Amino acid sequence: MRDLKHLIFFEDLLQEANNDLVKQAKTDGKRCLGYTCYFMPEVLLDLPGCFGVRLRAPRSGSPDMATYYMSNRTCHYGRSLMERALEGGYNFLDAQMATETCTVTCRFQEHLQQKKIDSVTDMNIIQNPDFFCEFIDVPFKKNENGYEHYRKQLQFHVLDKLKENFGIDTSDEALLKTIETHNEVCRLITEIGSYRKLDVPTITGYEFQVIQLVSLVCPKYLILPYLRETAEEMKTRKPDAKPNYRCKVVLAGAENDDPAFTQLIESCGALVVADRHCYGSLPGREEIVVAEGQAPLDAIARHYLNTSYCPRFMPADEMRQRKQYLADLAKEYKADGMIVVSNKFCEYWSYERTIDAIILPRDFGIPTCSIEKEYVNSASGQLRTRFQAFIESVEIKKIQEGAKK
Amino acid sequence: MKRVLKILSKVLLIGLGIYAALFAVFFFDLDGKALFYGVEPFLNKHYDRMERRDPLKMTYDMDKPHYDYKD
Amino acid sequence: MKKFDLKRLKNIDYKKLAKDFWYGKPHGERRLGDLYCDKTGLYKHREWRGVKDTMYYFNMIWLYNYGQMVADIMRYGGLKPFIKGTWRYRWMGQTYLPVLHWFDRGLEGLRGEALRASAWHYRAMVSLTIQQFMRMFRADANLNGGKHNDVWKHNIAHKETVWGGVFYPWAGKLQNVPMEMIPYFVTCHVNNHTVLNYIDAVQSIGLPGDPCPMCQAEAGLFVLDDMPDYAPFMVTSNEACDGSVASTILQDWLWDKPLFAMPQPMQFDDPLVQEHCANEIREMWKFIEDQTGIAPDMELLKKHLESQNELTRFEWEKWDVAANTSYYPINGVAQALYRIYQSQYGDNHMWHKTDKKVRKIMEKCVEQKINNFPLTRHRVIAWSCAPLYFSNWCTWAYNCWGLNTVINMDSLMFNMTIRTDNEEDMLMDMARYHEWAPMRRMAVGGMHHIFELWEYMEKFHCDMVMMYDQLQCKGMQGVHGLFEDEFRARNIHAIWMPHALPDKRTVSRSEIRTIINDYMTTVMHEEPIDPSLLEFDDSQSW
Repeated sequence: MRDLKHLIFFEDLLQEANNDLVKQAKTDGKRCLGYTCYFMPEVLLDLPGCFGVRLRAPRSGSPDMATYYMSNRTCHYGRSLMERALEGGYNFLDAQMATETCTVTCRFQEHLQQKKIDSVTDMNIIQNPDFFCEFIDVPFKKNENGYEHYRKQLQFHVLDKLKENFGIDTSDEALLKTIETHNEVCRLITEIGSYRKLDVPTITGYEFQVIQLVSLVCPKYLILPYLRETAEEMKTRKPDAKPNYRCKVVLAGAENDDPAFTQLIESCGALVVADRHCYGSLPGREEIVVAEGQAPLDAIARHYLNTSYCPRFMPADEMRQRKQYLADLAKEYKADGMIVVSNKFCEYWSYERTIDAIILPRDFGIPTCSIEKEYVNSASGQLRTRFQAFIESVEIKKIQEGAKK
Repeated sequence: MKRVLKILSKVLLIGLGIYAALFAVFFFDLDGKALFYGVEPFLNKHYDRMERRDPLKMTYDMDKPHYDYKD
Repeated sequence: MKKFDLKRLKNIDYKKLAKDFWYGKPHGERRLGDLYCDKTGLYKHREWRGVKDTMYYFNMIWLYNYGQMVADIMRYGGLKPFIKGTWRYRWMGQTYLPVLHWFDRGLEGLRGEALRASAWHYRAMVSLTIQQFMRMFRADANLNGGKHNDVWKHNIAHKETVWGGVFYPWAGKLQNVPMEMIPYFVTCHVNNHTVLNYIDAVQSIGLPGDPCPMCQAEAGLFVLDDMPDYAPFMVTSNEACDGSVASTILQDWLWDKPLFAMPQPMQFDDPLVQEHCANEIREMWKFIEDQTGIAPDMELLKKHLESQNELTRFEWEKWDVAANTSYYPINGVAQALYRIYQSQYGDNHMWHKTDKKVRKIMEKCVEQKINNFPLTRHRVIAWSCAPLYFSNWCTWAYNCWGLNTVINMDSLMFNMTIRTDNEEDMLMDMARYHEWAPMRRMAVGGMHHIFELWEYMEKFHCDMVMMYDQLQCKGMQGVHGLFEDEFRARNIHAIWMPHALPDKRTVSRSEIRTIINDYMTTVMHEEPIDPSLLEFDDSQSW
C-alpha cells in the first residue's frame, strides 16, 4: 500500500510525551493536563484554554529510579511513567487529572501529588509551580447511582478545579462546543478505523494505532487538520495486490500504547483489525450524544461509563457482556482470531485474560492467544515465537475449514 | 454403702486413669502426631482421588439480569 | 553407650529444679526451640509452663477447647453434616482437625493472665468458625443430593471482604456467611498446606502467578470445586483491591448465581462519595428483599449496630491499656486475628462473651500492675498486611528477641462507632465503616493514609516497626521507596518482612525469622533471649 502522507509525522509525535504539537499549544498559552485512564474524560480536558495529554513514556528503558519507589513487582507501565516523571519528562504538565482506577497508576499519580502534610515529604517531581494533581472517584457499576456519582465527581474535581486554578470556562456552552470538536475526532478515527472491516483492509493495525495514539496525546485543535487529511487520503487508498498477512486478529487487553508491539504481531503474519485495549479506539472513539434538554456533563458521564468495557466493572451482566463485545468485534471486523494481552502485574487483566482465553474459543469458536507482556517488550523473540505459532494454528484451522466446505 | 463407695472409687480411678491418659496425649503432643502422620495424609489421599466437576465445562450465559434499584 | 555419671547428679541444683517444675522455667532460661520435632513443628512434648499454667493449658485450653468444639458442632447442626462436610471439603478436613496446634503456636511461651486472655480470643474465633462451616454444611446442596433446603434458602453468601454488618437488617431471619472466610482465610492460619491446592488450581487454568495470592486462592476454591453450594445468591465487593474485583470474574462464572455487586468508593475522604456508598448499601438491601421476599428490619439493624458499638468501645479500652501501660494481657497474634475477625464478621454473642472474660482479666492486670511481657525490649507496631501462614511470628519474636508487638495495622481499621439515633446518619456511618475495611482503610483513598503509621507509633509508644512486605500487593509495593525514605529521615528502626500472604512457598517462615535475626544482630547488636529459637526447620509444619 502507498505510505500514508502523515505517518512519519505522526510517528515523530509519538517519540516524546512533550511533542511538537504539545509545545505549540503551550506556546499558544494553553494549559496542559495529563491523564492516564479512559475514565478521566478527555473531552473535559479539551475545554477552551486547556488540552489533555494521555501520558505515555515512549522510548523507555529500565525504570531504575521508579523501581526504587515502586519495587520491581508493580506494572511496568506505571513504573515507566514514574521514571519518565522523575527524569523531568512531564514538567510540561500544568496539572494531572488523576483516577484511582487501577492500583499502580494510582500510586504513580499519588507520587506526583503535592500533599503538603507532615507524614510524608512531597517529592516535587513535576517542576512547574502551577502544577496540581486532582483525583476523581470512579464508580464500578453502570447504574443510576453510578452515573450520578460520576457526574458529581467530574463537576467538583475536574470542572470546578479547572475553573478555580486556570480560569477555564466550564459552562454548558463551552462543553457543547468541546463535545463537537471531540466528536469530530471520534468520527474521523472511526472512519479511518472502519477500513479495517473491509475484506482486504486498506490500513494496517500499526498505522491505525499510530493515528489513534496521536489523537490521544496531541491537542485536538492541532491534530485535527492532519486527521481530516488522512481520512480523505484513506478514501482512495488501495490495498496491496497480494496482501502480506495470513490471518486477521483482534488485539484485546490491558494498557498498550506501543505501536511496535502491534508491528511485532503484524511482522509475524497477522493483521490487527481491531484494537480493544486501553489507549485503543474500541471502545473510546464513539461520539458523545447529548439528548435534547440533557445537561452536557450528564451526557458525558453516561457516555464514558456506558461505552467502557473495563474489567473493573463488577456486576455479572457487565462482566459477561465484555466477552460478547469481543466476540461481536471479531465478527464485525472479520477476524480469524483474538490476541488477549495483559501487562505483567496487572490484576484486572490477569483474570480477564484467563477467562477470555477459555470462553472465546469454547463458546464463540474464536481461536485465542493469551499473552503476558511488559510495557517495553525487549523479549520480542519469545513473543514472536508465540505469535508465529498462533498464526500458524489459525491458518491451519482456516485451511481445514476450507477443505471441509 | 460400701458397694457405692467401691463403685465410686472405681469410677474415680477410671476417671483418673482417663485424665492421666489424656494428659499424656496432651503433653507428648500425641494428638498432633496422630493428625500429622495419620489423619492428614489419609484425608489428603481421599481428596486427591475425589472426582470433581470440570470447571472448564461450566456454561457462561450472557443474559444475566441488570440490577438497578435507584428510584 | 554413654556412661552414667553420678557426679552430674550431685551437681544438679534440686531447689532450682523444683522451682522450675513448680513455676516453669523463666523466660531467658528456657529453650523453646528444643521442643520441636525436626521439620514438622510438632512437639517432642508440649511446653512445661509450671504446674499452674500447664494444668490451666491442659484443662482450660486443650481439653476445654476440644470439648467445646464437639459441643459447638452438636449445637450448630450435629455430627452428620460435620462428617459429610469433612469428607467432602479439603479445606475442612485438612485444616480444622489440627486446630489445637494453632493454639499452641500462637500461645507459645505465654504465662499467667496473658495465656488466659489470649486463649479466650482463640476460643471465640474457633466457635465463630464452627458456626459458619456448620451453617454452610447444613445448607450445602452438594451434600444434600443437589436439593436446596430451607437453610439454603435462608442464607446470604458474600465475599469475605464485605462487612457482615450490612446484613444486620435480617439478623435471625437470614444468615450471612462469607464465601471465603472459612474455606480460605482462616485455613491459612491453622494449616498453611491447604491453601496451596487452591492457588495451584487457579493457575492451572491459565492465571499468571503474579496477582495477589489471596484473591488467587479465593478464586481457586471455585476452580477446584471446593465451595459448598450453600446460598441462593451472592453479594460482592471491590474491597480490598483490584484483585478482589478481578477474582469475582471467575467466581461469578463458576458459581453462576444471581450476583449483586456492592462497591465501596476508593476516595473515601471525599465528602461527595458517602451518599454513593450509602445508596449502594440501600440497593443491596432491595436486592436481598427481591431475592428472598423478606423486608429489611431497621430496628434489628439498629439493635445490632448498638451491640457492635459495644464491642468497638471495649476495643478502644484495650488499645488504651496497650498504648499506655505494660499491663496489656493479649499477645500480638491474638490481638490481630481476633480484632480483624470480629470487626469484619460483625456482631455475634460469642464476641460479647469473650470480651466480658477478657475485660475481667485486663482489669485485674491493670489493678494489680501485672506486666505480662516483662522481657519486652522493643514495643513494635506491625504495619501493612500480615503473612497469614506465619501470623504467630509475633509470638516467636517476643520469645526469641523480646520484640513485643503491641498493635498492628489491621486492628486499627474499623475505628469508629456508628450513630443509631436516626436512619440517615446511621447509613452514612455504615458507609464510612464499610469503607474503612481491612487492607483498605490505610491502603486506598490517597497514600497519606498509609503514612498514619507515625501517628500510631507515637500513640502506642512504639520504637520499632515490623513492616510487612506483601510481595504481590501492588498498592503496598507502589509506596515502597517512600517508606524507605521516611524511615531513614525519621531514624526509625523498621524491619521489612517479605511474604506472600497465604503462600509460604514464596518466602518461608524460616526465611522470615532469618531476616529478623539478621536485623537484630547486625543492626541492633542484640543477643537473643532464647537462642534455641534462632534457627529451626519447620518447613513441613502446619
